[in-house]
Amino acid sequence: MSLFIESKKLRRTGYIPAFLAGGFLAAAFPAAYMAVKAEEMTSLSGKPMDLLMSANWQMMAMLNILISICGACMMYHTEYADNGIQKMSVLPVRQESLFFGKFVIAFLGLSAMVIMEMAALAGCAKYWFPDDVFSFTEILKTAGFQMVVALPTVMIMLVIASACKNMWVSLGIGVICVFTFSILPQDNTVLSLFPFASPYQMFSEATENGRTVLFLAVCGIETVAFGIGEVIYLKVRRCFE
Amino acid sequence: MSFLSLMGVEFKKIRRSKIFWILLIPVIMMWVPSIINADMNFDLRGIPITPENNFFIQGFMGMVWFMIPASLVICTVLISQTERSNRGILKMLSLPIPAAKLCFAKFTVLLMLAAAQMVMSIGAYSICAAIVTRMQDYNFILEPLYVCKTVCGIYAAAIPMAAVYWAISVLIRSPIFSVGVGLASIVPSVLMINTKIWFAYPMSYPFYLLMVAYGRAAQGVYETQIAWLPWLLAAVGITILALAVSCARYGAVERR
Repeated sequence: MSLFIESKKLRRTGYIPAFLAGGFLAAAFPAAYMAVKAEEMTSLSGKPMDLLMSANWQMMAMLNILISICGACMMYHTEYADNGIQKMSVLPVRQESLFFGKFVIAFLGLSAMVIMEMAALAGCAKYWFPDDVFSFTEILKTAGFQMVVALPTVMIMLVIASACKNMWVSLGIGVICVFTFSILPQDNTVLSLFPFASPYQMFSEATENGRTVLFLAVCGIETVAFGIGEVIYLKVRRCFE
Repeated sequence: MSFLSLMGVEFKKIRRSKIFWILLIPVIMMWVPSIINADMNFDLRGIPITPENNFFIQGFMGMVWFMIPASLVICTVLISQTERSNRGILKMLSLPIPAAKLCFAKFTVLLMLAAAQMVMSIGAYSICAAIVTRMQDYNFILEPLYVCKTVCGIYAAAIPMAAVYWAISVLIRSPIFSVGVGLASIVPSVLMINTKIWFAYPMSYPFYLLMVAYGRAAQGVYETQIAWLPWLLAAVGITILALAVSCARYGAVERR
């Protein structure tokens, strides 16, 4: 029910086209990269998927995070800009279900982007490395991993957006977080588990270091914890409004 | 209404917007890892650069590549969204002021906010350089004139980008698109800077200038001469075009 309402609210904001456009742009990265550096890349040894990921994933992940931030800010901006949230709080709808409805939509948007990116990577691997054995389950696993490690970022960004009435404040906080984690050292395991840093992790690297379970578990726990935090925050905020 | 009083009005509108903190925090954040890893500046990895230059350029790298464009996008959101609530923009447009003048005043405010961030970043650099000098017993403080010149150059190079972002936010009404386009345009600037047509991409200008400064401080890392000729023409052309479009289209949706 709340999912239906939430998706209706986004109808004229351009939310879905924005995610699709972001996905297309991210999908264009590996193709453009291979078009320029095809000889260098094909001479390297290793699985084509891993090579493509390590060359392009940093930028694609950054794009995923930025579009997710944008989407989260937008979803609460539509509520706050014309006092829609006040009207929603009068209706017999729980604020929490509003939030989780938005979260499901944000997750679906992100998944659409990741799937488009994976399809582009697989397409590039197939086109430029024709003699390679194509493994479908491997790509599915990679896509699943990349979605799960991006979950805490999506969740915390929605929490921030729900807490700030003005769009530029939530956008500013999100961008500052992206900036901070991009200048911190990347090879630190503890730091890479934080939201805004975990989406840069790659599945192939995590399997190599035996950290796949660690990443999946920690990101899952973070997501649930932020969700619980939001529920508590909403309860506390109601007392002071 | 004179242009100055119009700008005063615009500044009054954003007085309580907390934008100052949003501009200040990244400026401080960018120096925290530099201070913690100050001893890394002596590990030059074979690049012929002095530690103090390394400290300056590495510190500004993230700022120039990511934070200046992102701050500009946030400021355009601020300027265009403060007036959206309660339809403030309609009231402004109904005053006997040319819409183009109003638009230009807002653009000037955007430039002033960016200038404020630049001044803060010079201040933060000086403080951090002094701290690191104490910590490491090595003079990390560069000549202030050189620092100011480099940062002013970066700021001037950010103006075409600001004009483009402003035009995007005027032309595209839905904030998700204007912000999304703005933020997404940051990501490819690292790729664009290595191509031959970098001068056609305003988001890479400040990064280019910093890379030239890097090339001058360390031989062989990047070009040492600024390629003025196609760049200056492209930059001026892009700025004028973006400003003309935004001034012409400003308020067109509301006046319909």
